[in-house]
Amino acid sequence: MNRKTIPPYRALDSYLLKGLPALTFWTLLILCSDGALAQAASVTLDTSSSVHATHLLGFQGAKNNAKGTLSIQDNALQFQDGGKPAVQVRVKIASVQDVFLGEQSKQVGGLPMTLGKTAAPYGGGRVVSIFAHKNYDTLTLEYVDADGGFHGAIFQLDKGQAEVFRNELVTSGAHVTASENKPAKRTTTEVVSGSN
Amino acid sequence: MEATKRVSMFALATAIVAIALASPIQPAAQTVAAKSSAGENSFGAPQWSVQVGKVDPGDLAVASSFQIAIYESLLDELSKTKQFKQVLRDGDRNAGSVSDLLILKTTVQQYTPGSETRRAVTTVSGATKLTVRSQLCTREGAVVLERTINGNVRFMGSNLRATHNLAHNVAKAIKQSSLPDLAHAAPAQNGQI
Repeated sequence: MNRKTIPPYRALDSYLLKGLPALTFWTLLILCSDGALAQAASVTLDTSSSVHATHLLGFQGAKNNAKGTLSIQDNALQFQDGGKPAVQVRVKIASVQDVFLGEQSKQVGGLPMTLGKTAAPYGGGRVVSIFAHKNYDTLTLEYVDADGGFHGAIFQLDKGQAEVFRNELVTSGAHVTASENKPAKRTTTEVVSGSN
Repeated sequence: MEATKRVSMFALATAIVAIALASPIQPAAQTVAAKSSAGENSFGAPQWSVQVGKVDPGDLAVASSFQIAIYESLLDELSKTKQFKQVLRDGDRNAGSVSDLLILKTTVQQYTPGSETRRAVTTVSGATKLTVRSQLCTREGAVVLERTINGNVRFMGSNLRATHNLAHNVAKAIKQSSLPDLAHAAPAQNGQI
């Protein structure tokens, strides 16, 4: 008899208030990932011989993980670092010995996203991880310097652009072996050398 | 309110642990070697130069990007140790004029490509693993040092980070082992890290 009946609108109100911290958290997480996705989506092919790329490692003079523009100009391969101050690195196309294509899947959002996912309760971060990844192409170059020293450089490009750019390099005179013509998909199978 | 506090404390603790895991531990010994002058190691003895050879994938299908990443990371890490007078690239013509030259040969023995997404989703699977045999040889082909070294990424980071970890371990192994005197090369030291 003494039981108070809670009107439906009040019950809904208290439910929403209880879920407010979680809602805030998920909104922030989505905003974070949205930004990262938008950033990735802005990577577009400007012209036939210029492409936005991330220099992962190896190109002498360029910073690792630097974002910039990879282009072919005056028989040279050029990477223009988009950062401040802008840095330009050039390698003669004739010195390029081989070009390989690859493919990799990476989690988007960087460290903030990773921390957010780790902090998410009830393993919610794992669910986000399933969807918060993006496939990229990798362009691996082998070239020699003036002293004959062997160099390797790896660039990360948006999906589908590495093959286009490699073809541009071939047209411009880069030497490419026919062994790896298409992006190699990675499997997670363990391989052990038989020569142990 | 208490629940919110607890969640924030948990988030903070997780963030601290994650940052601690992400940043590699720098051994204090590195700073000692960094102070050594060019041409001499920390004990004042004359130094070797090293030429890093291309990575031999053996009979494994190791992605070209991985081979290149190991090679470039090795050059980077060996330069950082200040253990060698010069760190030369494979094919460098200047190597011909260097008298005290060691050649670093790297052969991949085991390779698991792994998956960053699988690591993020499951934590326990999807690790990227690399095992290589590293040999330091003289120009005449005598093996001065031989080690089997691992480089893995188990939790956070891209697959290519395994190559950085591997190169770091190779450089550390070389630094911790005593290279023979320049006059006479000692017999090979074997071990696994």
